[in-house]
Amino acid sequence: MAATLCAKLLPKQGWLPLSVSVRHGSKAVTRHRRPQHILKKKLLAVTEYIPPTRDAPPGAYPHQIKRGQEECTGLMLLIKEDLKKVFQDYKMIAVVQNNNSNTDDMLTLRHRLHKHGISVKFFPNQVMHLFLGDSIYGSMAPLFIGPTVLFVSKTPKLREMLSTLRVSPQMTLLGACIDNTLLSVQGVLHYSKLPSMTVVQGELVSGLTMLTSHTVSVLQRHPGQLSALLQQYIKQQSSETTSEAKTESAT
Amino acid sequence: MAAPRKAAVILKAVKKISVQFCPFESNVRSTREFLAMVGSEKVRATNMNCEVTSIVTHDKSEPVVDITYVDGERLLMKGAKLTSAEMLSAFQSRCTAKDTQTIGGGKK
Repeated sequence: MAATLCAKLLPKQGWLPLSVSVRHGSKAVTRHRRPQHILKKKLLAVTEYIPPTRDAPPGAYPHQIKRGQEECTGLMLLIKEDLKKVFQDYKMIAVVQNNNSNTDDMLTLRHRLHKHGISVKFFPNQVMHLFLGDSIYGSMAPLFIGPTVLFVSKTPKLREMLSTLRVSPQMTLLGACIDNTLLSVQGVLHYSKLPSMTVVQGELVSGLTMLTSHTVSVLQRHPGQLSALLQQYIKQQSSETTSEAKTESAT
Repeated sequence: MAAPRKAAVILKAVKKISVQFCPFESNVRSTREFLAMVGSEKVRATNMNCEVTSIVTHDKSEPVVDITYVDGERLLMKGAKLTSAEMLSAFQSRCTAKDTQTIGGGKK
């Protein structure tokens, strides 16, 4: 800035006053950050330049590794082993979704099922998907979404399980894997309505032996009755053949 | 997840919620999540008379949520292409609208 000198103090040339008042103004370019007016600060902050983010060129980074394959923790492997055992030991595995169960409800459910030898198991879905991807039960994978519970038992006791589930409103049966066959809800219902093995075998045997037992009973009758029956049969046969011949000649 | 931060859904104006889906389909995730959220204890405690039923089928049908309100209105949501958050927000807005209507009508 200009240095102002009092004109009165310089009457003659060459005479400097004792004290010279100099005003130094501030510089524009400083080594520290110059304090800015708050309005100017705000304006500059609002109108800052933000460069557009450009993607990296296509060959710059290697492809990202797919998630899930590399995140196998030791705990997950242990649970996976456990799962394998469960699938090997237990013949019936039912998948149920529980939306909301208190501890009381769970306890009563577990108690009822334990009476029939069905145990309740929880497994994390991630581990489940890992295990199912490797095993033959891959088609069960879409069942395991959200809060799911496994009901496992060595004997397929379906009726008791269905009755217990009907009582508890919040459990929804999604599907079951019985003897390595995947069943839907309707399949489970049909399966529960099937009679037991012995009954089915008995029915089959009785159906097959019905004809033979009938002939045996016929043969065991009085010979007179048997001859009368056979004569009647021959008559019927002959009448049938004649009627057939007539229809053939007519056509 | 899509858990609502504000107060849970108020079911006071709802009579019945019926959720139907086929678990072996791939588009069922949002419907199942909706069922889990609507069937939770907190939400059910707002209205103990409201029934939440789930129907599991195996006929490759679309997942459907059928909500019947106390005044007879029905809300049908087809969850095949919706996310659970969308379904929940739509349901919640309807419920609160109904609730305020009934409160306003009662006060008058």
